[in-house]
Amino acid sequence: MIGVEWTKQFRRTRTYATLGIVAGFPLVLSVALAATGSGQVEYVGDVPLVMVPRTSGFSVPIIALASTMKFFLPLAVSLFAGEAVAGEAGWGSLRYVLARPVSRTRVLWSKASVAALLSGAAVATLAVAGVVVGILCFGWHPLYVIDGGASSPGHPVAATLSPAVLLGELGLSTLYVTAGMASIFAVAFFLSTTTRRPLVAVAGGVGLTIISRVFNADYLPGVSVVNNYMPNNDIDLWNHLFVRPLPTEGIPHFLILQAVYFVVFMGLAQWWFTRKDILD
Amino acid sequence: MITVELIKQIRRPRAWIVFGVLAGVAVIVTLIIGLTSASTPERIGNWGSVVPNSSGFTMGLIGLNALLLFLIPLAVAIFAGESVAGEAGWGTLRYLLARPVSRERILTSKAVVAALFSLAAVAVVVVAGVLSGLVAFGWHPLSVLDLQHATAFSTGQSTVSPVAALGRLGLAVVVVSGTMLSTFAFAFFCSTLTDRAFSAVAGGVLFGLVSRSLDNIPGLHTLTPWLPLTDKGTDVWNGIFFRPTDWSGLPHLALVQGLYAAVLLSIAAVVFHRRDVLS
Repeated sequence: MIGVEWTKQFRRTRTYATLGIVAGFPLVLSVALAATGSGQVEYVGDVPLVMVPRTSGFSVPIIALASTMKFFLPLAVSLFAGEAVAGEAGWGSLRYVLARPVSRTRVLWSKASVAALLSGAAVATLAVAGVVVGILCFGWHPLYVIDGGASSPGHPVAATLSPAVLLGELGLSTLYVTAGMASIFAVAFFLSTTTRRPLVAVAGGVGLTIISRVFNADYLPGVSVVNNYMPNNDIDLWNHLFVRPLPTEGIPHFLILQAVYFVVFMGLAQWWFTRKDILD
Repeated sequence: MITVELIKQIRRPRAWIVFGVLAGVAVIVTLIIGLTSASTPERIGNWGSVVPNSSGFTMGLIGLNALLLFLIPLAVAIFAGESVAGEAGWGTLRYLLARPVSRERILTSKAVVAALFSLAAVAVVVVAGVLSGLVAFGWHPLSVLDLQHATAFSTGQSTVSPVAALGRLGLAVVVVSGTMLSTFAFAFFCSTLTDRAFSAVAGGVLFGLVSRSLDNIPGLHTLTPWLPLTDKGTDVWNGIFFRPTDWSGLPHLALVQGLYAAVLLSIAAVVFHRRDVLS
C-alpha cells in the first residue's frame, strides 16, 4: 500500500514543485548574502545568533532554517498533509481507493506515511541544499557565533564551531525542526479527512501557525500562559545548539507537546476516517 | 451596482466567518492578558508601550499590533482575492457581464465593496479589542509610552481622554487600512487573472510575505522604502498615539501605497476589460 501511494505522489508535479521551491530558497538567500558587502553582520532568530555569513558556508543553512520554520516550511508540510486524503476525494477517486480489499486504516496510514516522508524530505531538502549552496558560495570554514542574548557590551559570549561540529548540530537542528512540524502535519491531515477540498485542509494547517504566531509570548508577553501550548512557538529553540554553553531548556517540553498534538489529531483522523460516509 | 454587490457579499457566510475569527482572536487576547498579566507592559510596534490594565483602550492597540502581521493581511487578501475570482469560480461571471452594464462599472463596484469589507475587517479588530478591553479594564484615559523619546527627564508618556482615545483609534483604523492598500490591490489584480479564488488569496498573502522577507535582507536596505509592506511602514500608525503626534512617516506611506494601488488596480482594469470571460 505504501508503495502504491508513494508512486502516485512521486508522479505528481506538485511534489517536485514544492521541493524545488524549498531547495531554491537557500540559493536565493546565498545570492542575496553574496550581493551584500563583505563583513555584513546578520542577526539570526530570537536568541539572536550573531554571525558574519560570508565567513563560512554553514551560515546559509542556519539562516535558511531560521527564516522558513515559521511560515514556508509549515506551508509545505500543510500542502503534503492536507492534500493526502482530500486531494483524492477532490478528484473523486477516493471511493475507488477504498473499493480495494484493504482496510480503511491501512489506506489512511499509507497516505499518512507517504505525506510524512515528503514533509520530512522538505525540511531535509532545505538543510541539504543550504549546506551545499552555502559551502559552494562561502567555503568550508569554522563559524564564529556570538550569543546575542547573553552578551553585554564589551563582553561577548561567543564560540567558534568547527565544520564537523556544525554539520552534527545542523543535523540535530533539522531533526528538531522536522519534529516541530508534527503538530501542523497532524492538524492538516485530520482536516484532510474531513473535507473534499484540499485547500481547506492546507489553509487549516497554515492557519494554525498563524494563530500560534499571534499567541507568542516573544512578541506579546501578556499571553505567556498559552505560549507553551502553542504548536509552532518554541520551534526556534534549536538556535541554542549553536551557542556555548548549551542551554537545552524547553526542548523536551516542545517535543512532548508535538507528540501530544500528533497523537490527538492523528487519532481524530483515524476515528473520523473509519466512520465517514465516503461519497467522493 | 455597488448596492447589488454589497447585498451579495453581506449574505455570504464567508465575510461573517472572517469577521468572527478576527473579533474572536482579539477577544481571546484580552481574556488571556486580563486573566494572567494585566499589569505587564506590552510593546506596540517598535517604540510604543502600554500597560493593559491602565485602560480598556489599550486592548485596541494591542489587538491591532498582534494581528497586523498575518491575520489582517489575510482577511484583506480574502476579500480582495475572492471578489472577481470567486464569481468566476461559481461560473456566474458571464451572467454578471450579460447585464447591460459596462465591465468597468462591474469591476469598480466589486473593488469598492471589497475595500469596504477590508476596512471593516481592520475596524472589527479594534472594536472587538476595545469593547472587551472596556469590560475588562474600564473606561479610563489612555496612556502610551514612547520608548524612543523617553529620557531621564521625560518618560515620553502621552495620556489622552477616553473620547480622544476613541478618535485616535478611529484614525489608526484608517492608517492601518491604508497600509493594507498594496496587498488589497495585488490580491484584486490576481483575482481578475484567475478562476480560482484561492490562488488570488494566496497571491495576496505571498505578496506581503515576499515584501517582508526582502525588507529583512541586510543587503537590500536601499529597496526598503519602496517595498509595499515593511516593518517600518506597518508601524506608522503608532505615531498617532505619541506626544507630540508623529506624522512623519505618513506622507511617504501614502505615496508608496498609492503608487502600488494605482498601478496594480489599473492593470487589473485593463486585464478585466480585455479578458475572454469563459466562466
